[in-house]
Amino acid sequence: MAIRKKRNPSENYFDYSLLFIVLFLLGFGLVMIYSTSSYEANMQGHESTFYLKRQVMATVLGLAAMIVVANIPYHIYERFAAIAYLGSAALIPMVLIPQLRYTANGATRWIRIGGMTLQPAEVAKLGIIISLASLVCKMGRAIRTTKGFFTVLAIPLPICIMIRLITNNMSSAIIVFGIAALMLFVASPEYKKFIIMGAGGMAAIALLVFAISQASMTEGMGFRSERILAWLNPEAHSSDKGFQTVQALYAIGSGGILGKGLGRSVQKLGFLPEAQNDMIFSIICEELGLFGAIAIILMFLLLIWRFMVIASNAPDLFGALLVVGVMGHIAIQVILNIAVVTNTIPNTGISLPFISYGGSAVMFLLIEIGVVLSVAKGIRLKDI
Amino acid sequence: MSVKNRTYIRKKIVVSFFLCAAAFFLLAGRLVYLMVGCSEHYTEAAKDLHERERAIKAARGRIIDSTGAVLADNRTVCTISVIHNQITDPETVVKVLAKELELSEEYVAKRVEKYSAIERIKSNVDKSIGDKIREYDLDGVKVDEDYKRYYPYDTLASKVLGFTGGDNQGIIGLEVIYEEYLKGKEGTILTMTDAKGVEIAEAGEERIEPESGNDVYVSLDINIQSYATQLAMQAMETKQADSVSILVMNPKNGEILAMVNVPEFNLNAPYTLPEGTPEPATQEEKQNALNQMWRNGCINDTYEPGSTFKIITAAAGLESGAVTVNDRFSCPGYIMVEDRRIRCHKVGGHGAEDFVQGTMNSCNPVFITVGMRIGVDSYYDYFKKFGLLTKTGIDLPGEAGTIMHKKENIGAVELATISFGQSFQITPIQLATTASSIVNGGNRVTPHFGVKVVNSEGETVETLQYPVQKDIVSAETSETMRYILEQVVENGSGKNGYVEGYRVGGKTATSQTLPRGSGRYISSFLGFAPADDPKVLAVAIINNPQGVYYGGQIAAPIVRQLFENILPYLEGMDYNT
Repeated sequence: MAIRKKRNPSENYFDYSLLFIVLFLLGFGLVMIYSTSSYEANMQGHESTFYLKRQVMATVLGLAAMIVVANIPYHIYERFAAIAYLGSAALIPMVLIPQLRYTANGATRWIRIGGMTLQPAEVAKLGIIISLASLVCKMGRAIRTTKGFFTVLAIPLPICIMIRLITNNMSSAIIVFGIAALMLFVASPEYKKFIIMGAGGMAAIALLVFAISQASMTEGMGFRSERILAWLNPEAHSSDKGFQTVQALYAIGSGGILGKGLGRSVQKLGFLPEAQNDMIFSIICEELGLFGAIAIILMFLLLIWRFMVIASNAPDLFGALLVVGVMGHIAIQVILNIAVVTNTIPNTGISLPFISYGGSAVMFLLIEIGVVLSVAKGIRLKDI
Repeated sequence: MSVKNRTYIRKKIVVSFFLCAAAFFLLAGRLVYLMVGCSEHYTEAAKDLHERERAIKAARGRIIDSTGAVLADNRTVCTISVIHNQITDPETVVKVLAKELELSEEYVAKRVEKYSAIERIKSNVDKSIGDKIREYDLDGVKVDEDYKRYYPYDTLASKVLGFTGGDNQGIIGLEVIYEEYLKGKEGTILTMTDAKGVEIAEAGEERIEPESGNDVYVSLDINIQSYATQLAMQAMETKQADSVSILVMNPKNGEILAMVNVPEFNLNAPYTLPEGTPEPATQEEKQNALNQMWRNGCINDTYEPGSTFKIITAAAGLESGAVTVNDRFSCPGYIMVEDRRIRCHKVGGHGAEDFVQGTMNSCNPVFITVGMRIGVDSYYDYFKKFGLLTKTGIDLPGEAGTIMHKKENIGAVELATISFGQSFQITPIQLATTASSIVNGGNRVTPHFGVKVVNSEGETVETLQYPVQKDIVSAETSETMRYILEQVVENGSGKNGYVEGYRVGGKTATSQTLPRGSGRYISSFLGFAPADDPKVLAVAIINNPQGVYYGGQIAAPIVRQLFENILPYLEGMDYNT
């Protein structure tokens, strides 16, 4: 191997662009985490770098994992598809075990193993990417049949339902299902079914929103319908369900075109809950303005463009589907996160990849990047 | 993987990318809408949420007399505070503040060490000291400027000017009446705070500047006021009186040139009781003592005017035709009214006299006779017409009303006593105003201080107007009254009010206070000059003098001395042109 490399170094491909985009986002994320969390860290009696340090540690661990994974030939995962699927599924109910479970911000979504906290939903995202990629490869042409189509669609459902019911995490369930849907979309030659599904989904959502907004005039509402109402008119619900949304909008709107300057956010000073977490993008808007926000969106677009390039040139279908899965994961989260903070969709907890505070999220994202880099390594330059 | 497979998968990957790109594009559009289109709305809302308002006091308008002297001014004072989080060198801060503010180091240290957003060390610090502290340029030490009311002449016209309270609003006197003009508009300092309300030092502050109050120009004349105060003090001391009031006004338009009520109090220390007062036992007692000290005798207190009121009886008699200057009377030293024998002050009687002589002698039987001739109905009507039943409307708070019998309760005896100024009570300002109206040609003027309101740029905002009621007596009656009252001073009981080279009219009074026989008297004199065209009218009232208590002997000389000095002064100033 080593000898061959030396003889013909240009033969192997390494996607430095992807690496640098990821490193940029990570670095930028750390700066923003320090900016958004230092006030809260002080208020909680920690030093101002408390959150930053923890995130740096998780990032370093994640980068190490990424390097390791990038150097593992990705074909190995094909053999572990069943384990990945069943393992992800098995981890989710573990949050019910009192000795393991870990609760933060009123939600029980983590398990704690040896001082480290882990979110089973994050594992499940990776698990579903690997297991579905493998499944589609095994199915071969069977994917073109209706039965094959619905089989692929049905596989992630048990995991989605568990995430939704056991960890009460609607957004992760949607993301897992979204990843699966995108992978199926790429793997299947169909368009019609997806258009129908998409249109049907949209119509159902529109109907639901309409029904709730009408019903609100007459009777008491459940938790989720209140969220819908808060979404439709956040300022009218600013004292409870719409509070976070309104605070995020204040932050975004008051940023203006050029922003208040790095570190100058006022909304992060206790006004906006989860400022360093799900709502970090609104603080980016407040501090760096429209320019900063668009720049970050462009960085994510570049990242997805790299995924597209790698997936298109992947040496085989399994590799391509792995990259598509990761692309789906990151793209969906970015889109949903920005949609939530801008109140484009109802409020639900979704973090911004690479930037939001969260140890297990960044580690699993970096492992996924490792997988993509590993796929990229398989590309021979003459194939491009 | 077949080539065909590969092609559609590649295509689908590109389609996925563009779907994502489209979503990104839409979100970017949404951001443009929020951050450009709605920016103003959200910035405003966020500002409301983040900013805290602190008031900045407005400079209160000044009170300026007719000579341009500032009677009530503002002094810049400083409030020294420390901000715990910003202090870098606490030891120096403690040392410097303790030294400059003359406080104990322990006291300052305790405040410097206290963990709070802002801690006040001392307020009402002189500006010079504040500037000195500012020069040290210590981190975390704040010097805020503020205004404090300041009265350059301490006690001068204290009961007229009044003073202001802690939040700079008027408490008594002109400060209360002209509050609206004087107070100005508070400004604000807007500071950013975090969600807990702690100020964010780096964010700086935004100021909305306060609007200064308007200056009020008053008709008081500091020279006349000062001189009158001197005379009153002298009289109070030599006669060991309880109090002395002197009122000087322009009878033509009601402008008050001086209003003295000694003892006055120090406007810069209005809560300090006069020296020698025993420390009040309760808060209530102290408040009562303070209220007593702040009382303006000329308008807040009523008294029986006594013989000076004969001016009104005479005017009513002349106006109604009940008496003429040539009517003749005879005074045996008393007069019978129904079954009562009312004595004249001259025990032997004044004998035969005409009405002018009767007035010069201040003969009670003459005025009782005139009162009887007028009759209750008519007399009461004149009482009312002259404005004695209503307040004068002077621009000072707390004017007392007239205490008078009800019309149906006035019998012959009551009418007789009213005729020479007893059995009812009026305020000194009421007497002065009514007398002014009778001698000025018959126009009831409103006594007042306020002349005009001038804003901080020096533009006149408002010239104050006061109602005048015309023809309460005819011009002839007025002229006759001036003649009679000049006779009183030239040759009669008021001759001590005579001023060499000037024509002075006037009337004396000596009234015993209730209860009768207590030996307490109020001596007074009302004088005006020049007698043919009065430009100034003065009343001097001595409350409870010891020794000689006749108005003609102790009150008239006060007005004489006053006139001797102010008549040339007023001419020199050409005051009325």
